[in-house]
Amino acid sequence: MLSVLLLAPVIGAGIVGFWPKGKDEQVRGVALTIATAIFLWSIWLLTQFDITSTKLQFSQYLPWAEPIGLSYNIGVDGLSLPLVVLNSILTWIAIYSTKKDIARPRFYYALIFLVNAGVAGSFIAQNLLLFFLFYELELIPLYFLIAIWGGEKRAYAAMKFLLYTALSGILILAGFLGIAWLGNSGTVAWLNHYSAFDYQAIMTKGLSLEEKILLLTVLLVGFGIKIPLVPLHTWLPDAYVEASPPIAILLGGILAKLGAYGLIRFGMQLFPDTWALMAPGLAVIGAFSVVYGALSAIAQKDIKRMVAYSSIGHMGYILVAAASGTPLSLLGAVAQMVSHGLILALLFHLVGIVEIKVGTRELDVLNGLMNPIRGLPLTSALLILGGMASAGIPGLVGFAAEFIVFQGSFSVFPIPTLLCILASGLTAVYFVILLNRTCFGKLDNKLAYYPKVQWDERIPAFVLAVIIFVLGVQPNWLLRWSDTTTTAMVANISLPNAKQIATK
Amino acid sequence: MVQAPPKTEAKLPPSDHIFADIIHRLEAGGSMLPDTPENLMQIIGIYKAYAVPMDFYWRDLLYIAERVFLDPLPFFKYFLPQEYLDLHNHYAGDDADLRIWRGRATAHPELLEFMDKGELKSSLPRLVHHLWHDRINMEFAEACMRAMLWHQGMGGKFNDYLESEEYKANADRAIQAYFQGNPAMLALYKLFPEMFLEQVRQLSYYANLGLFWEVMAPVFFEMSDIYDEGGFKGVPDAMQFLVNGIFAIAGRPIYHHLYIGDQCYEIIPKSKGFTWLYEAALPYVEAVFYRTAPFRGTKSYNAQAKQVPDEQKDFHYGILYADVFPVGTAGIPPTMLMQDMLHFLPPYLVDYYRKYCRGEDDMLIQLGISFQRSMYNVTSAVIQALRQALLYPLDDPNPRHLMANRAFFESQLDRFKRPEARIREIQRQDYR
Repeated sequence: MLSVLLLAPVIGAGIVGFWPKGKDEQVRGVALTIATAIFLWSIWLLTQFDITSTKLQFSQYLPWAEPIGLSYNIGVDGLSLPLVVLNSILTWIAIYSTKKDIARPRFYYALIFLVNAGVAGSFIAQNLLLFFLFYELELIPLYFLIAIWGGEKRAYAAMKFLLYTALSGILILAGFLGIAWLGNSGTVAWLNHYSAFDYQAIMTKGLSLEEKILLLTVLLVGFGIKIPLVPLHTWLPDAYVEASPPIAILLGGILAKLGAYGLIRFGMQLFPDTWALMAPGLAVIGAFSVVYGALSAIAQKDIKRMVAYSSIGHMGYILVAAASGTPLSLLGAVAQMVSHGLILALLFHLVGIVEIKVGTRELDVLNGLMNPIRGLPLTSALLILGGMASAGIPGLVGFAAEFIVFQGSFSVFPIPTLLCILASGLTAVYFVILLNRTCFGKLDNKLAYYPKVQWDERIPAFVLAVIIFVLGVQPNWLLRWSDTTTTAMVANISLPNAKQIATK
Repeated sequence: MVQAPPKTEAKLPPSDHIFADIIHRLEAGGSMLPDTPENLMQIIGIYKAYAVPMDFYWRDLLYIAERVFLDPLPFFKYFLPQEYLDLHNHYAGDDADLRIWRGRATAHPELLEFMDKGELKSSLPRLVHHLWHDRINMEFAEACMRAMLWHQGMGGKFNDYLESEEYKANADRAIQAYFQGNPAMLALYKLFPEMFLEQVRQLSYYANLGLFWEVMAPVFFEMSDIYDEGGFKGVPDAMQFLVNGIFAIAGRPIYHHLYIGDQCYEIIPKSKGFTWLYEAALPYVEAVFYRTAPFRGTKSYNAQAKQVPDEQKDFHYGILYADVFPVGTAGIPPTMLMQDMLHFLPPYLVDYYRKYCRGEDDMLIQLGISFQRSMYNVTSAVIQALRQALLYPLDDPNPRHLMANRAFFESQLDRFKRPEARIREIQRQDYR
């Protein structure tokens, strides 16, 4: 069943990629239909998912390149399933929010489907090599998506993105090889060990502490680039800003989650005791990222860059939550991944509309978009909603996720958590700056001659806004999928300073 | 397509003014608004759309000045009685004092239809239309009146007269008569005579503006009719029509009468000799087109930071400077007038607006900018009329006279040097 999530986008990429020439206007419709089908399939998976089970579900196993330990071993649990669904939603949103007259549509939509397949594959892979394969696979289409359809400095941004994330891949591969190699008696015998890379078969217990710290550090840096954590983040503002809005939605909404997911799945779960040892440091890095992201966002003059920096901040919460390792904080981490994906997608989509209609992203130029007659009133209103959700205003999904993160982490790491709460306040600061300059004020008819926002341009924003609102007032619909899994995951970790573990 | 300059024997060197092109155009008998068919169509269309509510404004202004007067609770001052709808315009209809413009003496049929059915297109009780704000925005006329009252001192002797003992005695008589049999109000009048007097001064400005617009409404209707008949060849023609109108009507008396029943109280008698051009038209243009006041809207002004000029004469919030976004921004509140004009646009203008910007959705702004263009044309007519009255013909053979004309034009255009002025924008056709 899960394989459909891999096959459908790959076949979809083939269909749109080879769609007959001269029928460009049909390509988008075809792509949307395929994306809708993938989305519906992932929703159907949700309905079939047993939320009481701690085991992997929908598992499939096929031997593939046995001599090197590569097998087609897939499955999902409460950690990956919400992200798989998020992936299919955001792919749909990205395709829908792409402008209709995009150049080279076949190539473009095919690449988006390949990204979708790569990301989905990474989330469901239960073999380390298979994960790595997918993890690397999505880089190439994304590189093209930034480098071909990006902004002014797209070549630079795409190359920087490629170099950083390729390095991330190399480090992760090194980490995985180390795990398999050292974990199997330190001999080359692992080569004959068919399941050496299968997630369930991985043994890290035999490793010495130094080895574990080394391997975990390598993985931490590898995934840290992808998340990204400060100071490994410098590729992000360029890539997010130069990518077109739909690609920024994919990058920030789902790709960054791959890093956080990898860290929890392959860092925390494979090295539970070492994780506990390193957790205080991770929490500090996480809190630092949060504060750094927020402060940098305040300093920005470009609204897209502001949103990009806000992303660095919000991803930091996930690390703090993961470091804390309480059932509640882990649940919060998953919730924050989904919530951040949705909110960031909304913000990037709206910033994209503003840029298309107004022709600038400069904070000093934008003004008065709330104007009901010649402004972008609905877009501005949704931008305010997005800002509120991002700043954690109750009733929206951002609040639910952040509150659980804070509640779960405070007992373990009070000071980093408090710093995160403080930075949450800073989020409100930069969003107020953004909204005040962009949406409020006076629009002058000398300057303003903005085209109208069409209804179909608004639909993605409406869909996201409704999800953000519904999950905000009913967060249980977001949390129920992961509750069992995250609780079970925590059972393996014993944090030295976890005096009291909050329970839900 | 600037009108060909009149043949003159004396040629002046080109102006080095920042608006040299516009000055040359004025010297050639043109308008500040470029002469294009599109501009002509816009301004005439908007004159027509303006004339219909104006037909209401002047009637209601006179009704308030002459009948409502000092009513302490004037809830129904915008409910124009039939008598005033039937009131004969002195410059239209068969019994007109001066019959140069065609058109009927009583209220315009489009106005009557709108007053009956409104935007809702249904004949509900008038109070319902009123409360739903489905009516002519009389507040706009009052805002213009208040601008004239507040700025004062813009030439003419009308304002000085309001301070004279004679005026005070006339007003006193009118107040006493109005409140006859109302001891409470009479007692208040005894306590605060200046307050009542000030209210009467304001009512005199109601009368002043009403009498001004009484003339303008038939002029604008006539212009629209001429255009529909294919009469105007360009913007300068339309401007010249206004200049001629100004001179034809310059001497109409400006007065303020109060009617209590059949009794007439002359607060400002016709015999005082106040005339339309100097006591109404010029102060109106100065107060409303140029100055007005910072409007309480979405933009706030910081007086300490000199965002509001120290001198009233430097105020620049009128339509010639205004940002016409209908959200209550700077300038005369064009928002309400724009809403009024929207109801009476000629079909060709509606079709035109549909083609540009956001079509129906931002028609209010598009017509506001057409209105701005049209008022630049009216102001041009006033400038040309003043030049004609005070200075020399455009084809004067004496270069010194032409130089004096140029100095006059330059001094007038100096007022548009400030960045808020929209004179630069209206030169472009894509300013909508």
